[in-house]
Amino acid sequence: MKLLRRIPAPVWLLAPALLFVAAMALFPLGSALVLSFRQWRLTKSTEPGPFIGLENYVLLFTDDPEFLESLWATFVFVTSDVAATLAVALGAALLLRRAGRVNSLARVLLILPFVMSPALIGISFRFFLNPEFGIAQYLIGQVIPALQGKVWLADRTLAMAAVVASDVWHWAPYMTLVILGGLASIPPETEEAARVDGASEWAVFRDVTLPQLLPVLGIVLVLKTVFALKAFDTIFTLSNGGPGTSTQTLAYFVYHTAFNYYDMGYAAAAAWVLTALLLALSGYYLRLVFRKR
Amino acid sequence: MSSAAGITPGYLAPPAERAADWLRQLAVFTLIATIVLPIAWIVVTAFKLPRDVYSLEAALSFTPTLENLRTVFQHPWNLGSKIVNSVLVAGGTVLLAIPMATMAAYAFSRYDFRFKQAIFLTVIASQFIPAAIVVLPYFLMFKQLGLLDTRTALVLINLSIVLPYAVWMIKGFIDAVPLEIEESAQVDGASRARVIVEIVVPAALPGIITAAVFSFTLTWNEFLFALILGKQNALTLPIGLIGFRTERGDLWELMAAGGILITAPMFLLSLLVHRQFVGSLTAGSVR
Repeated sequence: MKLLRRIPAPVWLLAPALLFVAAMALFPLGSALVLSFRQWRLTKSTEPGPFIGLENYVLLFTDDPEFLESLWATFVFVTSDVAATLAVALGAALLLRRAGRVNSLARVLLILPFVMSPALIGISFRFFLNPEFGIAQYLIGQVIPALQGKVWLADRTLAMAAVVASDVWHWAPYMTLVILGGLASIPPETEEAARVDGASEWAVFRDVTLPQLLPVLGIVLVLKTVFALKAFDTIFTLSNGGPGTSTQTLAYFVYHTAFNYYDMGYAAAAAWVLTALLLALSGYYLRLVFRKR
Repeated sequence: MSSAAGITPGYLAPPAERAADWLRQLAVFTLIATIVLPIAWIVVTAFKLPRDVYSLEAALSFTPTLENLRTVFQHPWNLGSKIVNSVLVAGGTVLLAIPMATMAAYAFSRYDFRFKQAIFLTVIASQFIPAAIVVLPYFLMFKQLGLLDTRTALVLINLSIVLPYAVWMIKGFIDAVPLEIEESAQVDGASRARVIVEIVVPAALPGIITAAVFSFTLTWNEFLFALILGKQNALTLPIGLIGFRTERGDLWELMAAGGILITAPMFLLSLLVHRQFVGSLTAGSVR
């Protein structure tokens, strides 16, 4: 106890958390970086192989169509996922912003998809899209005859749509809550003044509401991009990266390379490509979030 | 605003306005249905016999059964032991994370020290590290330590996932605790540790509880690490779910029963704190 008193308070307060973050986040990052410069097939040896410099990275970008395809799949998944989530969440937030009993019920329900297991969501969407007895595939087939009897998960485009839909279902409600929070902090006088001046509802939204909402939308945009880049569970349980490589995003590619091909050094290099993207985004995100203070 | 409230009885809004109101209501009901119906469909499926699952004619007219909820607890599914693992891993993670995060949050909130901003941002940024990259070193590390397929390994990993969120969330709440009440306690000679435990923690309790629920939820649903590190002793509920994908095909009614078991506790917990939950990822920067 005496010794403890001599250590400055911030040090012993911070030590457990910081040591832990260093050991469990920074150390593995570094060790994966080292690993990415080595050749190591777990099937051949349990010991890491020789250092081969940047060869893993060179191979990724010059001689691996599967990796390039997964970059493309990542791009398609992230852009459509983020755009759809943002559009749905903004629309829903503007709708639910008004007072009313049904609206407040809906606001409570919004939390449910977010706390559901993403693995379960993937499994459920697989069930809903089953070609013989999937309820969603049946209902969609009734509305859009061209999609009647389609095997969604065997079609490259539809499989991607399914993966995106499951992720939007998981995230858009939560993002709606975040945007509702942003809308609540807009002073009502600003919008009322515009209405008194005879502005149309659309003009009020475009010229008054939207500009004040932009900081929140920025945060939602970056945060969702980060989580889309990290998405794994729903892809694993819904489409398994298929058909072919059509829904194999970068995160899934790393898993596949490491734990199906056991090519650890190569997987680490691919993982660092993903991590570099994410760290760049996180720098941008932190600037957005802390700018206000 | 053009809502119906405040309009005198007998007054009929212009048709365009009534149509807009009607469209808005339709949209809200569609939204509610999109959230509720998939969940309801899973719940209903859990109480169906296999033959009713595999036919759309039996969508709503079926003989309900409790058989699936019983089967998932039996061999070879044994969801009982997976529930125990999930509770122990999530509970252990929260019990370690909350004190660690509260201490760190207090230090970040109340002290000034060198590199404070940089250290804080590093902690926050560590949440952006993708699981895909740390899973390789973790796998090798825990293999070397002989901790593969143990709950201990899962607690350590989940702790590193939830700490950044918990620190950030709790710091937001401690920031809002007035400094004066702490100072008056210190004048009375209370030690720093006592001030934190007896004054700061109770004042920031709503935030600490929200952080605990959020951390519990993340750990409870965590999938990738449990998939790779678990073999048979440390299998958690999400991994139990994919066990229903067998060589004979997917056993949907059992998946649905397992789905209820994994989801119901999270629904209850989140509804308890849903008001504070919104800020969980953005920690007060958006409220």
